[in-house]
Amino acid sequence: MALTPATFLRQRRLSLTASLAALAGLAVAMPLVGVILAALGTETADIAARDIARYALTSAWLALLVGIITAAAGTLAAWLVVMYHFPGRNHFAWALALPLAVPAFALAYGYADLFDVAGALRTGLRDATGHDLPFEMRSIGGAAFILSAAFYPYVYLAMRAAFLNQSVNVLEAARMLGCSGRAALWRIALPMARPALAAGTALAVMETLADYGAVQFLSVQTLTTGVVRAWSVYGSTVSAARFALPLLAAAALLLWIERAGRKGQTHEGGKARWRALDPEPLGSAARWLAFAFCLMLLSAGLVLPVGWLAWNLGQASPDWARLIGATRNSLFLGLAGAAVTVALATMLAIGTRHLPLAARVASLGYATPGAVMAIGLLAPAGVIWNLAPGSGAVIAIMLLILAYAARLMAAALEPIDAGLARVTPSMRHAARTLGRTESGAALAVELPVARGAMMTAGLIILIDILKELPATLILRPFDFDTLAVIANNYALDERLGQAGLPSILIILLSLPAVIWLTRRIAHARPGA
Amino acid sequence: MAIPPILELLQVTRVHGARTTVEGASFALMPGRIACLLGPSGCGKSTLLRMIAGLEPVNAGEIRVHGAPLSSPDRTVAPEDRGVGLVFQDNALFPHLNVSDNIGFGLAGMSAEVRCERVATLLDRFYIAHLARAWPHTLSGGEQQRVAIARALAREPSLLLLDEPFSGLDGQLRNDVRRSLLADLRDAGATVLIVTHDPEEAMMIADDLILMSDGRILQSGAPNDCYARPVSVAAARLLGDAIVVPATISDGTAQTPLGPVPAPGHPDGPAELAVRPEKLYFAAEGAAAEILSGRCIGNGWLIDLVVGDTQLTLRTAAPPPPGKTASLAIDATDIAILPLPHA
Repeated sequence: MALTPATFLRQRRLSLTASLAALAGLAVAMPLVGVILAALGTETADIAARDIARYALTSAWLALLVGIITAAAGTLAAWLVVMYHFPGRNHFAWALALPLAVPAFALAYGYADLFDVAGALRTGLRDATGHDLPFEMRSIGGAAFILSAAFYPYVYLAMRAAFLNQSVNVLEAARMLGCSGRAALWRIALPMARPALAAGTALAVMETLADYGAVQFLSVQTLTTGVVRAWSVYGSTVSAARFALPLLAAAALLLWIERAGRKGQTHEGGKARWRALDPEPLGSAARWLAFAFCLMLLSAGLVLPVGWLAWNLGQASPDWARLIGATRNSLFLGLAGAAVTVALATMLAIGTRHLPLAARVASLGYATPGAVMAIGLLAPAGVIWNLAPGSGAVIAIMLLILAYAARLMAAALEPIDAGLARVTPSMRHAARTLGRTESGAALAVELPVARGAMMTAGLIILIDILKELPATLILRPFDFDTLAVIANNYALDERLGQAGLPSILIILLSLPAVIWLTRRIAHARPGA
Repeated sequence: MAIPPILELLQVTRVHGARTTVEGASFALMPGRIACLLGPSGCGKSTLLRMIAGLEPVNAGEIRVHGAPLSSPDRTVAPEDRGVGLVFQDNALFPHLNVSDNIGFGLAGMSAEVRCERVATLLDRFYIAHLARAWPHTLSGGEQQRVAIARALAREPSLLLLDEPFSGLDGQLRNDVRRSLLADLRDAGATVLIVTHDPEEAMMIADDLILMSDGRILQSGAPNDCYARPVSVAAARLLGDAIVVPATISDGTAQTPLGPVPAPGHPDGPAELAVRPEKLYFAAEGAAAEILSGRCIGNGWLIDLVVGDTQLTLRTAAPPPPGKTASLAIDATDIAILPLPHA
């Protein structure tokens, strides 16, 4: 091949892929920087420091309770489904993840309507037994139960994958060394799956701290409700940002735990000699207990509350025009948000291969509530609105999509990173020695190989955006409602029958994607 | 007029942090030759290959192809512009492309017709035409390797580099693939540099051998010369067993515990002999040896013995002579006489 001086490479040139990654990183880091800058302002609302402390304490309690419940329930469900044969096991394997399609606020509406003082189930039980139930749904305990029912799938999926990854060899070795089956769970399987437990629980806790719709409806005042209240009631961005700072710190801590957990997972077992677990049959009583536990979990997260909302749809008088408009808006935001987030995540994943810290910073938003992201974008939004006053709605939607992208970047990066891991360094180098530039190799080899992973990432983002509430509430243009916003507005007016329909529409829109994703996960095997 | 080399390495050095991975490597490769770069794992040979491919910069020295400088400390021609093909140890086939598309990957600038024709030619040459539409994951190790080599040759590189190409194959398959691929590469007239850590493989396939250890080139030349006349004990041991025998040279003869060995031209004084085990044999007359043990290894015998203070292991076709002692003689032709390392 002829060689001319023009073909010499300028070695210190910043590559195109690294430049794109830097741009994507800057875009998603903007809201985080915005929050910190906003918190430095002086125009605070009249919110006492002890209120912030009280809200923080409530958030901490809630996070602790949800962490414990989801860790226990998710781990037990995963252990049963992976290790034992019992009725419905194959269906539970994927169905137990279905609550991911249900917004936490929809569960809150359902449970509140069932268990409030005048709630149907509570009244019925009171009439039948003569005793009132000894708990309130509108309390920290009630909120912890509802959020655990919504978020246990994060632990379930992580633990299921971890148990499946464990080779039967190590469990058999434990049995040969005198462990009973149960002792093998405590002494081998659980310690080996501890990184996954930490990662799954961290995700559930992150979602708990980020939740706005459910806790707001249940009148449990957390830092996230504080952020929205400081902005919407007191009109103070500075105070809202100050409420957000402890959340940012918690986000960084949880993300570190989650990443450390994931790092540990990669050392699990020896894949080369991996042998599939062979589930054991259970005794006749135990198999029905296992069935009952899984059914109870699925009922708590999906069947009971959503069934109740659906049952009550008959009493609602839907405003179809508004619902159709909101469905259109939700889908538009979901699809556009998914496309933008996946594009940014792909640029980051390809460009920051040698800069894992940059990807980690860009992922920080995942643990950060949408409300905090929105507050972080209000300052840049103000600047843009001043520069281009007529462009309000368009800019607002663009900022909203940016807030989604920043909030959900980690959720998109994870599957895309996993997909790109199929492209070995030697494949990239092979493309280079076969005549492609660095960006040419990314287009010709990395993107096509990671296509399936990008699809997965897009669906995850779509589902999350359909359920998203606080960022949408703060940043949406005037008169631009999504299904989540309509549901929240009805619920705040205590019109739960009306709130049910948009909630169920969100579930119906999300469910096919969740089923596709969970079945794909359920059929995945190590090394696949 | 002398034919210029295709590839020249001039004092090439690569530093990773505090560690010098390759130090002052120099050699040349002539057109149409198949050369083997032989060294133990971790000696820097893959790094050297990657520098030739342009995947790593050099910290000192220069790499030239067809006389044109491709790598020096201040400039590196991009891998895609060097005209050098590289076949990776894991073959690195693209999983989303079938065999034809993998082979045609590097022909992006050509018309579809020319591209198809060249791909078809390569499919035929490497006997994989029946696999044209197959996906990489459905191929055997040998088939994957053929595709990888065809893909690298499609761009008609001036030089083809192969990184441990046969390491993923076992036993008979390894021999078959090696034999047929070498025949194909020779038919194609390609200039090839193969990295390997297997001395038998290197001896079998190389026209030229380059021995490397601890980041340095120890010796280069024809395989038989490297085997018979190693320049150091390390070079000798890269190509197989070598027994180090102390000697004292006087008047052109090396006196050893095994008897005298001609050493014309060597200065008087202490020296070492690197003796291949097959140069020693049991005879009626020779040095007294104590036999420690003898083990049958199927196609021969391994015999541990001591001559004077020197313990050695012989590989023989026949079992050891009966008794605890025997006479050991040396075939004095082609014995490497080396100066002492500290001399």
